[in-house]
Amino acid sequence: MQQKIDEIKNNFFEEIKNIKELASLEEFRIKYLSKNGLVTKLFDEFRELSKEEKPKFGQVINKVKNEVQDAFNELKTILEADNKSFENYIDLTLPGREKVVGTKHILTQTLDEMKSIFIQLGFSVHEGPELESDYNNFEALNFPDDHPARDMQDTFFVNDKFLLRTHTSPVQVRLMNEQKPPIRAIMPGKVYRNEAVSMKSYCLFHQVEGLYVDEGVTFAELKGTIVAFLKQFFGNDIKYRFRPSFFPFTEPSAEVDIWWVPEGKEGRWMEIMGCGMVDPNVLENCGIDSEKYTGYAFGMGVERTAMRKYGIDDIRHFFDNDKRFLTQF
Amino acid sequence: MLISINWLKNYIEIDDLSTDQIVEYITNAGLEVEEVTDYGKRFENMVVGFVKERKKHPNADKLSVCLVNDGEKDYNVVCGAPNVDAGQKVPFAKVGAIIPNGNFEIKKAKIRGEVSEGMICAEDELGLGEDHSGIMVLDPGLQEGTKLSKALGLDDVVMEISITPNRSEALSHYGIARDLAAILDRESKLPKIELNEEGDDINKLGSIEIENSVDCPRYSAKVVTGIKIQESPDWLKQKLIAVGSRPINNVVDVTNYILNELGQPLHAFDLKKLAGNKIVVKSAGNEIKKFTTLDSKERNLNNDDLLIWDGEKPVAIAGVMGGENSEVTETTLDVLIESAYFRPSAVRKTSKQLGLSTDASYRFERGTNPDLTLFAAERAAQLIAEVAGGKIAKGFIDAYPNKILSTKIELRHKRISLVLGFDIDKSRVESIMTNLGFTILEKSDEKLLVEVPPFRHDIEREIDLIEEVIRVYGYDNIPLFNKVSVTLDAKVNEYEFADNSRNILVGLGLNEIITNSLLNQELADEHGKSIPVLSPQSYEMSNLRTSLLTGMLQSISKNIKVKENDLALFEIGRIFTKINEELNSFEDFTEEEHLLIAITGNCQDKEWYGDARKYDFYDLKGIVNAYIKEISLDNQIIDSYYQEENLYFEYNFAKMFFEEIVGKGGKLKNSYLKNFDIKQDVFVFDFNITKLKKINKSEKSFNQLLKYPKVKRDFAVVVDKDNDSETIINVIEKNNSKLLKNVKLFDIFESDSLGKGKKSLAFELEYFDEQRTLTEEEVEKEFWNAIEAVKKEFNASLRG
Repeated sequence: MQQKIDEIKNNFFEEIKNIKELASLEEFRIKYLSKNGLVTKLFDEFRELSKEEKPKFGQVINKVKNEVQDAFNELKTILEADNKSFENYIDLTLPGREKVVGTKHILTQTLDEMKSIFIQLGFSVHEGPELESDYNNFEALNFPDDHPARDMQDTFFVNDKFLLRTHTSPVQVRLMNEQKPPIRAIMPGKVYRNEAVSMKSYCLFHQVEGLYVDEGVTFAELKGTIVAFLKQFFGNDIKYRFRPSFFPFTEPSAEVDIWWVPEGKEGRWMEIMGCGMVDPNVLENCGIDSEKYTGYAFGMGVERTAMRKYGIDDIRHFFDNDKRFLTQF
Repeated sequence: MLISINWLKNYIEIDDLSTDQIVEYITNAGLEVEEVTDYGKRFENMVVGFVKERKKHPNADKLSVCLVNDGEKDYNVVCGAPNVDAGQKVPFAKVGAIIPNGNFEIKKAKIRGEVSEGMICAEDELGLGEDHSGIMVLDPGLQEGTKLSKALGLDDVVMEISITPNRSEALSHYGIARDLAAILDRESKLPKIELNEEGDDINKLGSIEIENSVDCPRYSAKVVTGIKIQESPDWLKQKLIAVGSRPINNVVDVTNYILNELGQPLHAFDLKKLAGNKIVVKSAGNEIKKFTTLDSKERNLNNDDLLIWDGEKPVAIAGVMGGENSEVTETTLDVLIESAYFRPSAVRKTSKQLGLSTDASYRFERGTNPDLTLFAAERAAQLIAEVAGGKIAKGFIDAYPNKILSTKIELRHKRISLVLGFDIDKSRVESIMTNLGFTILEKSDEKLLVEVPPFRHDIEREIDLIEEVIRVYGYDNIPLFNKVSVTLDAKVNEYEFADNSRNILVGLGLNEIITNSLLNQELADEHGKSIPVLSPQSYEMSNLRTSLLTGMLQSISKNIKVKENDLALFEIGRIFTKINEELNSFEDFTEEEHLLIAITGNCQDKEWYGDARKYDFYDLKGIVNAYIKEISLDNQIIDSYYQEENLYFEYNFAKMFFEEIVGKGGKLKNSYLKNFDIKQDVFVFDFNITKLKKINKSEKSFNQLLKYPKVKRDFAVVVDKDNDSETIINVIEKNNSKLLKNVKLFDIFESDSLGKGKKSLAFELEYFDEQRTLTEEEVEKEFWNAIEAVKKEFNASLRG
């Protein structure tokens, strides 16, 4: 008898493992738990046992019966849940419980993208003050006092010694004064121009400045580096040109244009950055031997680049902080 | 600067080049062409037509039907003008032409039953004048079929070129031609001068005296007598109009012509108005404080402003503008033409001082060509005699007391390669130098000695010559490297902290904003002593911000106005505060980076799964604490709930690092928000990032994972309402051993059944030990100690 009970129990648990759907579960139930099922029949056989044997197997059979019934019920519940029924219908189309992720300002995103490209190219990232000295912003950068080059930038002066920096280039001066070459860094930040606010200009904007000073730094290497940046940032097939220009703090100097086709309009060249070889006067102003060391520098506007990249038509959107604008990016 | 391509052709042969090529060459020379206007295109499909026949229109009295020939075939044209007649040469717009006035296209049409294949144009229809009385009748000598633009002398393309401050030598048509010639390896030529000097000896007519030869190194002059002031001839007017200069009279037009031709500003004085027929060049000095320029404006003078005087009085501000008292008028008969070289910085100083920039001062302050003054004066005399009659006086006056010398510079081939990163043929370098008009004085294998003429004010050093070499060689010809060198030092990222902060706050669901650092003085002064800027564009942007709060509230207010009421925003930016009244050094003010967090409106809208919920103080605190934890400062920074009377916060709390406040925020007062027209609750928190950055982060290190079970117990007590939860938690912790690891407040409620002024607080206490399993007895003991202490300390009763 014990042997039989064990056998039925073992078979039961062996077979139930393989049952994956309700239909086979029903067959299984009939086999073991129906009126004529194997487990139910054990009670018939029990009834025929001798008086001595009855107490011994009564408990055993009951225990087995409960064990298998529990196992069966558990599986039944699981399999029924799998089969979606009308009563527990779920509307899958309801919106999920909202989880909100914020947004970085699109200027930050653009700046991040620029930074990451230059960080890959082995540049450090430095910052400097927005309220700068006239010396760092102009004089050290070879803008002679009383020279028309100073007219190139409308300046917010605070007094005759301090101003709101008109470009990120004074950070170059700070770095070169603090460190010895090699210096390889980008310097992003806010800059200010005393201009009327309009669609195209705002009294402040963001720039990314770059500087590399070492022995043997060349103009050709500058061009190569900038082209590598343009391709990463705008895509491999970007059309660009370098043309001679003038900045007091670099010589030779270049402006870099990219070919831009605004939607539904004719293509045209758009200025995207200025660059050049650090002027020997600037190196000397910072105590660097200009015969031994050469360097290149570049600077680009973040707003203009973002406007181009995302088709933003009015620079004021960046500073209006309308949520409908902020959450688009 | 506007440059006409037709005009350019007077000095260089460029007929073989298309407009696009010319524009490209000029741009690649560093002279950026910003815009190109093709006047020829304006008159496309318009030619000189010959009216062969004129008949009356069969169906309309006022119309006629003409047969117009364009040199190839005849066209039937219906015309309404009364003056049209057979035998005339007329402007004929063919099918496809766009009429400039009205911008409509000519199409083949039937007018009252008669076919018309074009239009005979009136002056106003072509945009050439006001006349609409009839069609424009052209010179009968013109060949039919000639392009109309050519026939009218308007077959021109005008470029707008932006000239950088270093390139003063390119501020004229001849200057552009000279640079283009260097790039194209062609010749440029100055205009030829043939003078017919029939007048008196110039020395009898006038004299020049230079007292200040530092500011005026050279002064040349010519005199023309017996002229007639009138309108300029068409060719001269057309040239000036093409470059945007308004024709005035023949003499003034000639001086403007030469300014645009040679870049030498000239001034014509009415010789009869010069007392003593004399020119004296000297500074204003003490005696003269005011002077009226020819635009009838009175100008205030400084002592060192350079003036042109006659025998008695000032007659012009040197290099800037002539005086009303000596200008050429309709009655002028004799003129003295001034052609001088003034020291650039002297003119700039005066022009700045006066706030007056003219075409002349613009060129003088950038540097004109001291070698060209006499040539320009002679050229002017020749042209004035040509267009205004009169006799050119014999000879010239040329005072040149302070000779401007050319510069000698050494140019090393090795240095060129070192700066550029590749070699340029030595012979190519030499030809570039000579093409630019420089002289090679000496040459060896290693280097050149180059003499640079004085008109190249921008070239003083070897690097300036290297720049010229690569400019003419062409930036496009720089070989493209596909490898660059990288330094192997440890990299620094000073933006890391701010970047990290942004990432955390975005992860917490906030949107970043960027606001203007400039505010009006009143708002800027609200949070500290603000720094004003000089001559701002507007009152609204006159002072630097002393807090990010103002910009934030302005942004919130603007958003609410467009119904964006639910906002979670942050900004990271600099604020500026005065320490001392006078800013003489960086110690006199602070510039610090701050982070401002603001939440307002609903944190959750009404949804199918829950009701709407407004942001409250605890949302703010949650964000602030999550941020502090994420930047790993939660072990160093503690909260302070100290309240003090202030204008901004209804209630607030602060984050402290030892005794220093590193952040502060809370609920803003409604009375303060009213200033920004905000009618909903706003919670803000302001961190000083400059300070946070300086605190050492707690280093992260691994803790063994707990191997023994945690035991949790909870209880609820009823206490007076004004007990802070933190005070109670402190008592619980104080009365338990280190087995108590965490106390959590998990329920608060108030109800009448608890009694007035009472609240119920429920705490969950968590116990464990890293080394062993705790026994039931020791936990129970600790737990009841805590309860008893709370009961005693707060006169609390245990619930349930």
